[in-house]
Amino acid sequence: MPFMLPTILKNLFTGYATRLYPVQVREPFENARGHIRFNEDKCIMCGVCAMRCPSVSITVEKKKNELTFYPARCIVCEVCIHACPSDAIDLIFKWRTPFYEKPVEIYKSTRIAQLRETADAATDAATDAAKEEESAKEDK
Amino acid sequence: MERLWPVEISPRAKYLRTFWAELARTHSHLLWLGLLADAFGFESMFLQFWRIRERVLDLLEMTAGHRVIPSVNIIGGVRRDITPEQKKVIIDTLDIIRKESDELVKVVTRDYTVKKRTVGIGVVTKEQAIQLGCVGPVLRASGVPEDARLTKYDAYGDLNYEPVVETAGDCYARTLVRAREIFQSIDLQLEALSKLPEGEIAVKVKGNPPKNEAVMRVEAPRGELFYYAKGNGSRNLERMKIRTPTFANLPSLLVMLPGCELADVPVIVLSIDPCICCMER
Repeated sequence: MPFMLPTILKNLFTGYATRLYPVQVREPFENARGHIRFNEDKCIMCGVCAMRCPSVSITVEKKKNELTFYPARCIVCEVCIHACPSDAIDLIFKWRTPFYEKPVEIYKSTRIAQLRETADAATDAATDAAKEEESAKEDK
Repeated sequence: MERLWPVEISPRAKYLRTFWAELARTHSHLLWLGLLADAFGFESMFLQFWRIRERVLDLLEMTAGHRVIPSVNIIGGVRRDITPEQKKVIIDTLDIIRKESDELVKVVTRDYTVKKRTVGIGVVTKEQAIQLGCVGPVLRASGVPEDARLTKYDAYGDLNYEPVVETAGDCYARTLVRAREIFQSIDLQLEALSKLPEGEIAVKVKGNPPKNEAVMRVEAPRGELFYYAKGNGSRNLERMKIRTPTFANLPSLLVMLPGCELADVPVIVLSIDPCICCMER
């Protein structure tokens, strides 16, 4: 034990090595891999992130315009961030807070929703126009 | 993996890879020394070592993003770069780590209770170690100067590197090898940082892996890690084989364990630094 003595004495007179965690939180480092977040305005539902993800934490259903993300599976390897053609995935430096139930996040692409709306409106207008024409023919 | 194409990566990426490999080695050996102290019931030292390890983990998080697994290597280079400000912080922290671990390593190497539990226990002779195909610190503790870093991959060719060798082959020798490797790896990190060349950190690699085979040996903290990859021109590899160091070191327990006392079993099993999840593949 004599060789441990200097360390023991030093520890007696120094403060705690740990932090009072929930009260005192260390600021995250810049570029630390906390978690990822999808940007709904930029996403185009191409599905490249889902294809590349090594831990299968992303699924994309283009028809439904739905991107499902399972944060509990994600290992924050950054593969999706670098693969994304429209830079729609952001790296957040802060870690996720602990959870009791595994969260599931669903994102919807605003771009595709808008495109679909305009397309639907166009088809609606086209059918309306066709109906009007038909009724006009019947009138004649 | 770059050998499949083959692509030459930039010197800066090579040095950065070496730096992260050595930082991971420092963290792994500090973790192991803590676990060794825990294996024979020296709980206070276990936590002392893990306190130093926390500094290494902070460095890893600052430079690579993750605390334990850097995951910075991509095909063609690395993902993160080290800025001059980070370099200063790293050099200062490494100095503190060296000072703190120097104090504790003295305890490990000189203390009576530690010696009592490790000297002459779990002996593997030089011939047995070679015959059983041991790798890494287990092999070097038996007096064989064998290390994959001697093949001069990455930046090890330019750095001043000599394997740490002990001759006794017991648990104490394995402890000494790992303790001395901590300081050696700190030296290697500082040398790699001081020689860090300017340039690109990653080369773009395009296309699927071509019809080719590649073999690579690297020195992981636990020993030699062997990679084999075979491509067939499609998106998926035809074959991929990874031989982990624990898989190679496990047979040495056949020599170490017979005839030992039951209380020594945890120390002996731990002295090869087993990683069961690596082995079970």
